[in-house]
Amino acid sequence: MNSKSRVISIVMRSTILAFAWTMGPCSPAAAAPAAAAPPPPAAPAPAPAVAAPKADAAPGADAAPAASEEPPAPGTPATDSPPAEFKTLDQEVQGMKKEVIDLNKDLFVLQEELLFPANTQVAVYVSMDVGAFFALDSVTLKIDNKEVKNYLYTAREADALLKGGVQEIYLGNLKAGKHELVAFFTGKGPVERGYKRGATITFDKGVGAKYLELKITDRVTKHQPEFKIKDWD
Amino acid sequence: MSALLAAAALSAVPTLVGKPAPDFALRSMDGKNRRLSEFRGQVVLVNFWARWAGDSRQEMPALDRINTTYNRAGLVVLGVSVDEDWRRAREFADAMKVGYPILFDTTADIGRNYLLRKMPMTILVDRSGVVRYSSAGFKSGDDLAYLEKIRELLRE
Repeated sequence: MNSKSRVISIVMRSTILAFAWTMGPCSPAAAAPAAAAPPPPAAPAPAPAVAAPKADAAPGADAAPAASEEPPAPGTPATDSPPAEFKTLDQEVQGMKKEVIDLNKDLFVLQEELLFPANTQVAVYVSMDVGAFFALDSVTLKIDNKEVKNYLYTAREADALLKGGVQEIYLGNLKAGKHELVAFFTGKGPVERGYKRGATITFDKGVGAKYLELKITDRVTKHQPEFKIKDWD
Repeated sequence: MSALLAAAALSAVPTLVGKPAPDFALRSMDGKNRRLSEFRGQVVLVNFWARWAGDSRQEMPALDRINTTYNRAGLVVLGVSVDEDWRRAREFADAMKVGYPILFDTTADIGRNYLLRKMPMTILVDRSGVVRYSSAGFKSGDDLAYLEKIRELLRE
């Protein structure tokens, strides 16, 4: 199903739901979507729970019917179970709930497809390894010389990266062709000194999503941090 | 009639009360970065202030007293300077000697998200991250209104 037909389908379903909700769950309109639900009980009245006292019963005698003296057969519904109309109502409400959940899911998928179509999608991730020579403070991203993100890290977030977390720092769209990504990393380097470094990558954006990873690692031989950008083809 | 007009004017002022507090991360005076969403689960008082707003000078000591008293009960007070010149804002904050973190919003982005209309402005965010109270300006006695709301939110 393409996006246009999906939009039409979602609009129609939401209109039906809104209408059903306005009419109330008992209305025929509300019942319409739940076609599979069993119909309400027919005209014949259910058997009375308590039998009418017999005319010839002795005054003051216990008028309970004989049936109530016997234990109910296994598997038979208890006499205090909710009436059938409540069951139907509950099924209708459950049906509407499910419709709303399905609709919400479809809307989310549609929003993702429209805002970030896979063909033009670019995602940038940040990861950090060891971090003995660098304490991350912020990352600034520029794509084609335009600042697209400036992210400030709290101690907790930097700690999460050091523990192996990977952060999606940017998600956007780019046309196919050559592009340049520049990342500036600021923080504290060796011996608690202010540290600012940049890393650049020129990449080809073809058909399909593009994933780039900003990697911060330690170069032990030089006692310096190292900043790289990896292109996940 | 005038009361009705005043009420209509008040209702026309856009407010964040009842909505999720816009998240932000800012650098603080002690060099640490602080993010609002990391205080989820605590009651947060965000006070936007500026050097040029005379009422800030009165309000900050009152907020410091509130912070000292209710900090251990789960209250977090954040002072956010909206001054463009963070160095002068820092000097001002140093002189005020408050014990709660002072953050710097030099780009005024956060202020825009919080619909600042008068300085200083105080926002109370509940444990689930929803704005529950907003007050623009400061006059003597406003801190008592803050206290009442804070106690209510801490009890939740």
